[in-house]
Amino acid sequence: MSEFEAYRGLFVAESRENHENLVKNLLLLERGTYQDAIDEIFRSIHTLKGASASMGFSNMEHLCHTMEDVFQLIRSGAAEISPELVNLLLACSDLIERMLDDIEAGGDSSSKNPAEQVKALKEWIEQRGGIPKVNTEASLNMAEAGQPAGPAGDTNTENLPEYEMQITVASDCIMKDVRAMLALGNLKSLGTILSVNPTIEAIDEGKFDSRLELVIASDAGEVALKTAASGTEITEVVIRPAKKPATMTPVESTESSKKAETDKKQSQSPDKSREIKNLRVDIHQLDHIMNLVEDLVINRGRLKQIAEEHKIKEMDEAIGMVDRSVSELQNLMMNIRMIPLNHIFNRLPRVVRDVAQYDSKEVEFVIEGGETELDRSVMDGLNDPLLHLIRNAVNHGIESPDIREKAGKPRKGYVKLSAHRDRDNVIIELIDDGAGINVDKVKAKGIEKGLINPDVAETFTTEQAIDLLFQPGFSTADKISDISGRGVGLDVVKRSIEALKGTIRVETTTGKGSRFELLLPPTMAIVDVMIVRINEKRLGIPISSIVEVANFRRNETHQIGKGEAILLRDEVLQILRLDDMAGVSKASEILVVVQYQKRKCCIPVDVVEGKQEVVVKPLSGFIGNTRGVSGITILGDGGVVPVIDVNTII
Amino acid sequence: MGKILIVDDTLFMRTLLKNILFSGGHTIVGEAGDGDEGVAKYKELKPDLVTMDIVMPKLNGIEALKAIKALDPAARIVMCTAVGQEQMVKLAIKSGAKGYIIKPFQAPKVLEEVKNVLAS
Repeated sequence: MSEFEAYRGLFVAESRENHENLVKNLLLLERGTYQDAIDEIFRSIHTLKGASASMGFSNMEHLCHTMEDVFQLIRSGAAEISPELVNLLLACSDLIERMLDDIEAGGDSSSKNPAEQVKALKEWIEQRGGIPKVNTEASLNMAEAGQPAGPAGDTNTENLPEYEMQITVASDCIMKDVRAMLALGNLKSLGTILSVNPTIEAIDEGKFDSRLELVIASDAGEVALKTAASGTEITEVVIRPAKKPATMTPVESTESSKKAETDKKQSQSPDKSREIKNLRVDIHQLDHIMNLVEDLVINRGRLKQIAEEHKIKEMDEAIGMVDRSVSELQNLMMNIRMIPLNHIFNRLPRVVRDVAQYDSKEVEFVIEGGETELDRSVMDGLNDPLLHLIRNAVNHGIESPDIREKAGKPRKGYVKLSAHRDRDNVIIELIDDGAGINVDKVKAKGIEKGLINPDVAETFTTEQAIDLLFQPGFSTADKISDISGRGVGLDVVKRSIEALKGTIRVETTTGKGSRFELLLPPTMAIVDVMIVRINEKRLGIPISSIVEVANFRRNETHQIGKGEAILLRDEVLQILRLDDMAGVSKASEILVVVQYQKRKCCIPVDVVEGKQEVVVKPLSGFIGNTRGVSGITILGDGGVVPVIDVNTII
Repeated sequence: MGKILIVDDTLFMRTLLKNILFSGGHTIVGEAGDGDEGVAKYKELKPDLVTMDIVMPKLNGIEALKAIKALDPAARIVMCTAVGQEQMVKLAIKSGAKGYIIKPFQAPKVLEEVKNVLAS
């Protein structure tokens, strides 16, 4: 086992790809019998089998082998695909996934016993008459394949010497019949085989023990014939002239000239284009490089500042060059860390299928834009919330076929997941044509759960009501189902998305369906911020959430309730003072207007220092609750500056 | 010792095979991930020997073998196979394959077969 340890990572990575391909194509088979899908599945299982065998993961190999047998049968046309079979195969592929998890964690799949699945597969095979004796195109072109390789114009064998040969194949050879075939093939290129025992047809069918007897007519000579017949796993070759005496002396010119040619070839200049175009790199190494790039970004800022302070011209130029390289490096690193969304999208059809089956619903699931790329760190955090939303869409959104029919909709529900890049953001959209969110039900539930009181509920807009869905402890499902409920609600989804610096938005139309929109930054690490100063304390505000910077006329503020507001371009904006963070300032002269979704407010600041690209490092847990601060950044002068999290502050 | 082209659709198998062949003193002149690429690389690199997987996307190993044989009847091609694929290997041999190695690969057997085929 240990000699293969070095291949474990590669094995897991590639096997996961094959597993994914397997599931994807199994789901295709549910819609109909597609030859391409069958071939792809066969190829994936075959590869999984081969690789697991090489690594010595016998449980996994055993399972894949039996699955391969099933597809052998299907490909031969002796059996058809049924929904039960697809279910069984999906269960098998789940087990493979668990085995891969185990292997990735350092195990060898032995803790995952496939006996149950293998038994079910074997029963299926037996019911259909067992594995066919695969007679591929093998026996088709015996003559065509053998002859052209023979010596040219050699159909007349009368004048050629004839030899009797006995070839013995090693007893431990795994494919004796194939070895025999190989020896025959090599001999054929030197002469004409006059007779052979067992017959070629018999060998073709696997009827071969260990000894081959033949008569060949050839002018190649005993030595050449013997060489041609011997080879790996051939223990003995006996050759003697047949009854008809050999009249010609052995000619070995062909062989020796060939050898000379080989020698010449080898002495020629070796390895020209030996280019490797792709590499697999451990993600931790990438993370480490990314950290170093971040440090470079910080120090670049520091250098810039020093050059400015001391007005050193040469240094300015040098920094200019470093600046360009660092920017490029940074962009490159960002790109390297980008992964197409398909990475998680590809698993979702299976989820939709399972939920739909469990709920007896019919759903057509469409994925678009899976090639859109996201930073790996964002991708990691996106998997669970997306899974939850998809389950919700099928479980709560799509109605059962009968209800849909009564409502005049097609029996089959429609769920679409799409992604696209929108300037600096990635937008993921989940649309269903189900019942939509029942606003009244949501309000009633909100009152029941004590989240709002009835008077307030009356005045709630649809949007505000939907916001209730994202409150902790809210769940409209009448009972917790096996599928979506699991104790976590949309509040967890929202928090996860916000942790990724993203936002979630919902639109719904009763009876027509819902639309969830996730807006995500393609990466979390490096952000453009505006550095502002309040009370001599510096703060960073992400440029992406700033809509405007205006003069602050302090005498034009109004008290509304407990809050303070100002009229700016015919719009009443709430004033958000960051006194808790920076202390009370009397010198604020500038208003920074920020926006989150459709809500705007403005932050009074003393000075705007300028725009800067910074690396935002998250705060560690022991600092405690840091609502309103997404992290800190270190500026060029070494100053530590908090970066405002606009989403949570409004 | 020869110049070898490895054709297999999985990086895992290619790496495994590459290390075995390398330990036997051979030079790996190229790798291809499917049959089409295998044929193209053969044309480009003119290796002494090709190891050819059978089940691959695009062009399978048998088709790729035929295509290479059509380009160069003297090509030495060793099929990579697994128990249960006997018929496919026989078909390959009838189409001109010079040898076969069985997965899971055993280094001594692989090297012996490659040596023998190179010597033929």
